[in-house]
Amino acid sequence: MGFKTLRQKINLVLTVTCVVVLAALPVIGAPQSWLLYAFLFFVYLAMANMWNLLAGYSGLISLCQPAFLGLAGYTLAIGTWVGIPWWAGLLGGAIVAGVFALLISIPVFRLSGIYFAIGTLVVPEALRMVFYLWRPVGGQMHGAGAGYMIKEIGGVSTDLMYWWALVVGIGSILLVRLILRSNLGLGLAAIRDNERAAASCGVSVFKLKLYTFIVAAVVTGLAGGVYYLYQGYIEPSATFNVKWTMTLLLATVIGGIRTEEGPVIGTIVVVFLYFLLARYAGYSLLIQGIILIGIMLLSPQGIVGVLRRSRLYRYVAECGAP
Amino acid sequence: MGSGDIITPLVMGLLLGGLYALIALGLSMVFGVMRLINLAHGDLVALGSYGAYALMTVVGIDPIVGLVISVPAMFLLGLAIQKYLMGRAFAISSEAPLIIAFGISLVIQNANQIAWTPLSRALNTPYSHMSFTIGARQFPLSYLLDFAAGVVVMLALRYFLTSTYLGRAITAASQDKKAAQLMGINTNRVYGYAFAIAMASAAIAGVFLGMTFPFTPTSGVSFLTIAFGTVIIGGLGSMLGTFIGGMILGVFQTLGGYFLGPAFQMLIVYVIVLVILAVRPQGLFGR
Repeated sequence: MGFKTLRQKINLVLTVTCVVVLAALPVIGAPQSWLLYAFLFFVYLAMANMWNLLAGYSGLISLCQPAFLGLAGYTLAIGTWVGIPWWAGLLGGAIVAGVFALLISIPVFRLSGIYFAIGTLVVPEALRMVFYLWRPVGGQMHGAGAGYMIKEIGGVSTDLMYWWALVVGIGSILLVRLILRSNLGLGLAAIRDNERAAASCGVSVFKLKLYTFIVAAVVTGLAGGVYYLYQGYIEPSATFNVKWTMTLLLATVIGGIRTEEGPVIGTIVVVFLYFLLARYAGYSLLIQGIILIGIMLLSPQGIVGVLRRSRLYRYVAECGAP
Repeated sequence: MGSGDIITPLVMGLLLGGLYALIALGLSMVFGVMRLINLAHGDLVALGSYGAYALMTVVGIDPIVGLVISVPAMFLLGLAIQKYLMGRAFAISSEAPLIIAFGISLVIQNANQIAWTPLSRALNTPYSHMSFTIGARQFPLSYLLDFAAGVVVMLALRYFLTSTYLGRAITAASQDKKAAQLMGINTNRVYGYAFAIAMASAAIAGVFLGMTFPFTPTSGVSFLTIAFGTVIIGGLGSMLGTFIGGMILGVFQTLGGYFLGPAFQMLIVYVIVLVILAVRPQGLFGR
């Protein structure tokens, strides 16, 4: 690993240039719409990466991601009502999401496979009810249900929010890379190949899955917090909504589940679709559902699966291999 | 609420249990035979409600009479979904059927919304607002119909599974797929029929549900949770267990609504599902 070939150097330079250009977008006066696309890309990317880590690498088909991002968003919003600075609210939200993941792991980790999926599906639904009924601070309702404005963020520039999103998005890629190359990742790979064999070889299946679940919750929460910081408003029905799950699923499956680059490619497509379908908002779930089913049946490995069969891809992949 | 009488919610909960069992039977069947938690089941029930609503408002057919049309239609749709989508998905990977079921769920949900707008609808018939009296207490007639429908469908399914060739083939395939294949059972065909029967039962459940409660295009998730809760409480595979599970869930819900207020009814269902998962994932009557 110590030395690098020329190809790897070129690849590293390209990656760094890409990140620098993306980071410089607000400064060099890119149009606001571009910034919004890139912002959404980073937020979705972080969440999709985490879902891929769960569903693709750990066999945990989690349908409760809206719970994590929603709780983090609410922590941020309610925090600003009681005078907690927004950046502390962001970090606090991520921690709340992580603690919540630990709590719900008590019931849902007793389930495996499909049971796990349905057990987790219930969680955001229950939370939506809770946040409709429960209003911890601020007497008056603002809008539908128990909605909250995120206060005192007038001074936070959109550029700063953009950079937060960038750090979370790019950070999630690095985190997945790091995890998959660590002992945790090796353990996950063993579990994925054969859970029983892994367990009998001393891999602590439960612990590894739990760690992954909590890490995924924290990062998803952080990304959710950044999203709601930008949004400036949070309310239960759009937050604890299956549409979020759909977006993450779609990004991962379109790109290629169980591949590291899949969520990146998939998220680009999803953000593109998002703006393409904005005009047909009423039909977007229908279209996305059809795309999801189609991709799953025609190319279970997504776009990456198709690309991997091409020569150009193999060439680039060799460059990127560590 | 607040009449100080606990018998009324208790009886209503028990009657409601029949409806819950009706919703859950299809889910239980698909799980038992195909080992698939059909995430689209709730939306299929909602589709049943909307189908009946369409027949009632456009053609003017009574919802229960309309089952003559909607049950075969849903049966055929079930055969098609199993043949063209689920059957292929099972060959891909273990998570593929689940993801595809999720996709189907969203497609149905959005299609219902496009066709019928997000407004809340209900199947209002001349008899759905009638009531009957036991002693001095009044109960909605629709709850009694729910219970009766639940019993009839459960007994019919039980007879079908134990006394017909196809039913026995389905039971055999659910117990041991390989052994069933060796006995000359075409398991793909069996899967198709199991899915189709589940969808037909969803059509029936949709009608009675629509006469009891208002529904929206996004009601599918709560229907799915009810079905799942019923199956979880009752334990998988047992028809009677499903029925008892439905009644327990129904009683919990009505009593919860009675003590805490109607806003908490669904929340209680969700919490019970999570608690039972935590304490006894195999169900109260499971092995």
